[in-house]
Amino acid sequence: MGIVIAVISGKGGVGKTTAVANLGLGVAMNGKKCAVVDFDIGQRNLDMILGLENRVVYDMVQVMDGEATVKQAIIKSKVNENLHFLAASQSKDKSVLSSQKVYKLVKELKDTYDYVILDSPAGIESGFEHTIEFADAAIIVVNPEVSSIRDADRAIGILDSKSQKVKDGGEVAKYLIINRIVADMVQSGEMLKSEDILDILDIKLVGKVPEDNGVIDASNQGKPVILDKHSIAGQAYKRISARLCGKKVDMKDIEVSDSSLFKKIAGIFK
Amino acid sequence: MFDFWKKKKSASVAKDRLSIAIMSDRGGRDIYPFMDELKQEIVDVVKKYIGVRGVEIKKEIDGDWEAISIDVFLDRNNV
Repeated sequence: MGIVIAVISGKGGVGKTTAVANLGLGVAMNGKKCAVVDFDIGQRNLDMILGLENRVVYDMVQVMDGEATVKQAIIKSKVNENLHFLAASQSKDKSVLSSQKVYKLVKELKDTYDYVILDSPAGIESGFEHTIEFADAAIIVVNPEVSSIRDADRAIGILDSKSQKVKDGGEVAKYLIINRIVADMVQSGEMLKSEDILDILDIKLVGKVPEDNGVIDASNQGKPVILDKHSIAGQAYKRISARLCGKKVDMKDIEVSDSSLFKKIAGIFK
Repeated sequence: MFDFWKKKKSASVAKDRLSIAIMSDRGGRDIYPFMDELKQEIVDVVKKYIGVRGVEIKKEIDGDWEAISIDVFLDRNNV
């Protein structure tokens, strides 16, 4: 039986879908069977980031409604056979989800895969609630920026009250990814430090991802950035994926940039 | 160069503002679970001496301090 991880953020546009695609692939690269499911009904995007948009035949709503089986709807990744993907419905809206249907789907996937990663819609409405409802753990993605952090705190609050695990007297494990860190700005005091963010949100850190133009380049091509050996964000996702698979990987301090030192030295010779 | 020392860094401003905003977001009714009881007891005490129409409790947060103000509305017809 696998583990179900909901990837949430509260605010949109912080890199949630990118995180899901890269962690899914990263976990698969560690030899684990992984299913990634897009729960962002009506705003399907994970298919694009994974480069699988042309292969979608059935979506998760059709599976829930019994119009297709999981086997029929699941799409295999082109780059790693351990990674499978289930698309969100593009035509319907979030109201089609019900706890019962979500439970059945999540349970079936959990029985088949080692990791089931759910891409939550932004916001804290019903679509979000259904994504977290049957999750064993949640990964919260934030940017080092006030609105993202505040919205994340609201999402965590709802996670702590609405998750089935909590209702059953348990606890959902929560881990934070700080995405789009600009080392130079942290150094100059213009961007929140990760310790400050952890202080405010009071949760555990699973990884820091630096700002990296390669992420857009990767999404243009539909090849998750983790495949790009030279990308610093890709390397960060590799480390986080390994951690998710139980490996001990030291937290690389990406907030101290080599580049700022280089710039200073270069400045001397100008 | 000297501005560098004078100006408070924006990241620390962000931290302060966030801490307060999130505290109040989390707060609402949860911080004071005894609020309803407190209200009732105040009404009971004041009622012993004078008519009471209602009690309103307001919470205010500004920077480091937090204040609760309690308004007791008296019932003039029932003095």
